[in-house]
Amino acid sequence: MKRTRISRRQALRLIGAAGLAIGAVSFGTLLPTGVASAQALGMPQDEEKVADTMKRLFGGRTVQEAADRIKVDAPLIAENGAVVPIKVDAELPMNPDKYVKNIYIIADKNRRPLNARFALTPEAGKASIATNIRLAATSDVRVIAEMSDGALFGVTREVKVTVGGCGG
Amino acid sequence: MSVGQVRIRVPEKAKAGEVVTVRVLITHPQETLAFKDGKPVARQYNFLHRVEATYNGKKVFEAEMTQAVSQNPLVAFPIKVSEPGTVKVTFFETTGKTYSGEAQIRF
Repeated sequence: MKRTRISRRQALRLIGAAGLAIGAVSFGTLLPTGVASAQALGMPQDEEKVADTMKRLFGGRTVQEAADRIKVDAPLIAENGAVVPIKVDAELPMNPDKYVKNIYIIADKNRRPLNARFALTPEAGKASIATNIRLAATSDVRVIAEMSDGALFGVTREVKVTVGGCGG
Repeated sequence: MSVGQVRIRVPEKAKAGEVVTVRVLITHPQETLAFKDGKPVARQYNFLHRVEATYNGKKVFEAEMTQAVSQNPLVAFPIKVSEPGTVKVTFFETTGKTYSGEAQIRF
């Protein structure tokens, strides 16, 4: 019987390639498209209009108004734009087959409107997050929940800002 | 307080199947853009751009942050717990540094 011989070097190379492939798969899991690419980490990015941000993040998909299902706790008037507490509670399904994948916080009048994105899994149990954001000026703040099937639910809330908090 | 100190608050006791809220606070300046002649100065700014949380080693939460997140960022997120364990939260700075903290969830 004839056996195909694999040298030690070939075997090692194969194992290495397999390892790399596994690594690549297990990394890009939760977050799809990044705000900042690896090369530009921390570098200033171009100013963006909110319409462009929406297009970049969601393509042409429409956002359903869902004030009844997403509760947003934000101050009516924020004296200091540098620290604006935002709390989001979404009453949307969190089952393995249908769940809230991402929650976006977008401030219309910021230089770059996307404030933050929160990626959730069904293990979270409920779609509820809180954070402190910066607002440059009085503006609408949009909270948008993206479902695992691509549906978008959003709420818009106006926050009045006395002193802007984005520097410059 | 020193930069990068991570403080995590979890409920004292949890029950199986309960959704607990994990509140995380980190000391960090979240540097904002510096402007010169109305244009942002092109250099690397030091801020946290990502935070990741694991529960018993399994990834449960991740968030992408920008400079439009306040200094000393607060992040709160839910986890549905089925067994006691350790929640570990790691922040990633644009400079490549990471800061992490841990908390125990007891039953």
